[in-house]
Amino acid sequence: MIVFDEVNKFYGDFHVLKDINLTINKGEVVVVIGPSGSGKSTMLRCINRLETISDGSLTVNGISVGDKKTDINKLRRNIGMVFQHFHLYPHKTVLQNIMLAPMKVLGQSEAEAKKIAQKYLEKVGIANKANSYPSQLSGGQQQRVAIARGLAMNPEIMLFDEPTSALDPEMIGEVLDVMKALAHEGMTMVVVTHEMGFAREVADRIVFMDEGRILEEAIPAEFYANPREERARLFLSRILNH
Amino acid sequence: MLDFSILTDHLDMYLEGFKITITASLIALVASLVIGILIAVIRIVPFKPLNALGAAYVEFIRNIPLLIIVFFFFLGLRLDGLMAGTIALSIYTSSFIAEAIRAGILSVPKGQMEAARSSGLSYVQTMRLIILPQAFKIVIPPLGNQFINLVKNSSILSVVAGLDLMYQGDLISSRTFVVFDVYIFVAIFYLLLTIPLSLGVGYLEKRLAKSN
Repeated sequence: MIVFDEVNKFYGDFHVLKDINLTINKGEVVVVIGPSGSGKSTMLRCINRLETISDGSLTVNGISVGDKKTDINKLRRNIGMVFQHFHLYPHKTVLQNIMLAPMKVLGQSEAEAKKIAQKYLEKVGIANKANSYPSQLSGGQQQRVAIARGLAMNPEIMLFDEPTSALDPEMIGEVLDVMKALAHEGMTMVVVTHEMGFAREVADRIVFMDEGRILEEAIPAEFYANPREERARLFLSRILNH
Repeated sequence: MLDFSILTDHLDMYLEGFKITITASLIALVASLVIGILIAVIRIVPFKPLNALGAAYVEFIRNIPLLIIVFFFFLGLRLDGLMAGTIALSIYTSSFIAEAIRAGILSVPKGQMEAARSSGLSYVQTMRLIILPQAFKIVIPPLGNQFINLVKNSSILSVVAGLDLMYQGDLISSRTFVVFDVYIFVAIFYLLLTIPLSLGVGYLEKRLAKSN
């Protein structure tokens, strides 16, 4: 469904992504981990062209993401994205945040969009906040709204870019629960995170990155029990033993 | 003590000038806002030649005296005073408004653009629905300043027989040989415009701050 083939990316002289080869299948949950600055988020953001690739090929459902002829807006409809800092629209209510893209991009009527928005708000457990503004919500609630906003477009793929890194520890659980439920429903998910518990429990596959390279790809049981790469071993020992 | 007979004897002239000043200011306000938004957007769209064009417009217009722009339309293009003054005022003010709005757009967090674009909205839709409404909120105070300046700058119409408040003041003064009182009343008429404008901007600022 998502295929990276020899993808490289440079910021000027800085080589951010090095020879990335990765295939993500429909319904798979792939968790990308690795130290800061290893290129995890950059790789994720290439999938919906928030970042462009310098060479190689990247396709989503067989459509080349980088191709100038590709209608990027059409491709993005099918890919929901959740950010570390939520990025809800502060001047719109929760309901309006969720209804905007379905109405403006998919052409849904207001009534239809509202029904769908309410459905997803219920799903993420904050139907009672429909008419609040984002600033009136806690971080965890805001992130759940952001997930509902992504889901309302009925995408085939959801991208999560460190969705719990900006949250108070107490609120991480509620967001991860929503993501777990989503994974169990068969959503194709690519998740950049430092939540090892989540990765171990939910991921079909772990991708470990360092310095712009994918060093290791393995199923969680294998990866956590016995990482093949020395760098991965060091990384795990540092974050698991404290 | 102020001589109120100056006001009462020439009330029709004061009111005529007041009306012209309001009209010219209103037209210039709307026009400069529209041009200003356009130039601000041109300066930030991801297309370098347009950015340069926008920057050239702003730097050229805001760095020459308003009076010269007025003369360009009045003496150069031979428009009548009211028309030349209003157009010049619109163009002049638009360069300052463009800068204020551009600063506002740039102060909207980058994530807003990314979130909207990644949901499939086009660049134009994102600008219109997400970025500009937030930028507008930020630029209300500087925009208010520009509008107040605009009203006061409209007195430049008097130089080209624009029939505005200042022009009528000049007329009354040259007829009566009174200077001080005549212009005090002129100033009061300007205050009648600028103070409500200030209050309105303050009110708008408070009201729009609510959702934040």
